[in-house]
Amino acid sequence: MYIRNKLSWQLPDSAVTSQSNYVGRRQFLRTFGLGLAAGALLPSVAPAATFGFPDSLNAAESLPGVKLTPYDNILAYNNFYEWGLEKGDPKENSNNGWKTEPWTIEIGGMCTKPGKYDVDDFIKAVGGIEQRNYRHRCVEAWSMVIPWDGFALSKVVAMAQPKPEAKYLQFTSFMDPKNCPAQRSQDFPWPYTEGLTLPESTNELAFLATGIYGKPLLNQNGAPIRLVVPWKYGFKGAKSLVRIDFVAQQPKTLWNQMAPNEYGFYANVNPGVDHPRWSQKTERIIGAGFFGGRQPTLKFNGYEKEVAGLYAGLDLRQNF
Amino acid sequence: MNLVARILASKIVALAILSGVGVCLLVVPALTNQLGANPIERLLHVSGEIAIWTLGFVLSLAPLRVLFPGSTIVNALNRHRRYIGVSACIYAVVHFSCHLLYQGDLEDVLQSFSKPFIWFGLTGLAILVSLGLTSNNWSVRKLGGKRWKLLHRLAYVAAIVLIYHQTIAGKGHWYIARWLLILLVALEGARLAKKFWSTKPSAARVREVPR
Repeated sequence: MYIRNKLSWQLPDSAVTSQSNYVGRRQFLRTFGLGLAAGALLPSVAPAATFGFPDSLNAAESLPGVKLTPYDNILAYNNFYEWGLEKGDPKENSNNGWKTEPWTIEIGGMCTKPGKYDVDDFIKAVGGIEQRNYRHRCVEAWSMVIPWDGFALSKVVAMAQPKPEAKYLQFTSFMDPKNCPAQRSQDFPWPYTEGLTLPESTNELAFLATGIYGKPLLNQNGAPIRLVVPWKYGFKGAKSLVRIDFVAQQPKTLWNQMAPNEYGFYANVNPGVDHPRWSQKTERIIGAGFFGGRQPTLKFNGYEKEVAGLYAGLDLRQNF
Repeated sequence: MNLVARILASKIVALAILSGVGVCLLVVPALTNQLGANPIERLLHVSGEIAIWTLGFVLSLAPLRVLFPGSTIVNALNRHRRYIGVSACIYAVVHFSCHLLYQGDLEDVLQSFSKPFIWFGLTGLAILVSLGLTSNNWSVRKLGGKRWKLLHRLAYVAAIVLIYHQTIAGKGHWYIARWLLILLVALEGARLAKKFWSTKPSAARVREVPR
């Protein structure tokens, strides 16, 4: 036990390297080649929030024995409707001149220490980043396992010091109709907004990510900073955040406004509550290939021990 | 123009185009590993899109013939209505097969049949399959022209049901589905308007013999 801990903390890079071993050399070459090709084709891609790299794996969130999703799958299979409806669209469309560096994020609403930060200064202010391997379950019944880099959302709450009347956090994504054609149409109530209750926000698992696989987030994954709530469906993880506000009322969220019968405010992963159009009992594993099959979905995405207490007495069927 | 019409009138060309869409968008990407991280989901979505647009295409041909009776291209395309309709049916069957594959096992498949979203798809599929199976001269003779035509009017019902199926697939937006609906409604509206206001009835009452 002692040796294992020492290894993971003292050799931070080894965590990433050893995990990429199973991916295989061919996989690595492909990813590396892809990065080179993207760099050559798209010179406008700027690095996002770079502060804190290289970081080290948080041993408590390492998901031992669980296979990480290959990096190129995470980069090429995204729901980011600002950049298109198809899974391959965000990679293609978000890297045509949309700049995520420099980036300003504002903390506001009902708190005693609001502030406007350059995103790198913001990461510095909360004390840097760490790596966590989280299960990621999309409401569309597919799943990944992602090695995020970032920090606990609770640090932001502690820093901002919410006033007693603050009951929720509202997260607001970027709004840039000039560079993002989809935001010029009225089909969706842009900008993307999401929300959490204050107790959810201070749960140790709630996370703000600035990287994946030890590298700054790419645009299609929500650069430079995004929300990650591993026990909830993926759409709760608002991308490319420009605001976090402390509010008294339950905030409006984009998908809840679009289809309230399909996307609830809580959106906790729950195999016992179906989506109106499909079952949530199982999930397809991304990267497992054509006949990769499905695996059973876990309640709260496997984080029941950590978060079930947040919902004591709440009817999860009603509050889906 | 005449050359284009003559090429389009060819049965071989029509069959090549109709099957080529599936080969280029489904078979080749599958064989060359171009379907992305969730291959069956991709096949599911693309085959569904091909099916509904093929259906929309065949339904637009009758009003187009009324609106542009002199167009050699429209007339050439109208020769292939049976092939195009049967293709829509085949792509719908492919789409349904992808759904079965995507669900994975029998339990998940049966579970999926409890969803209204799937009922709409299955209703459309049932109509398209019945129309596909009766798209032959033997069936026309057996049923008689009038009854056969009445039966095949169900294609419009299938279109409505399937556009709704596609709409609710879109998480509250209907981005893609609406264009098909607008197109079909506009064409039918124009056909009716022309019929209504036409001073020369002979131009509007085009022979509607089943082919």
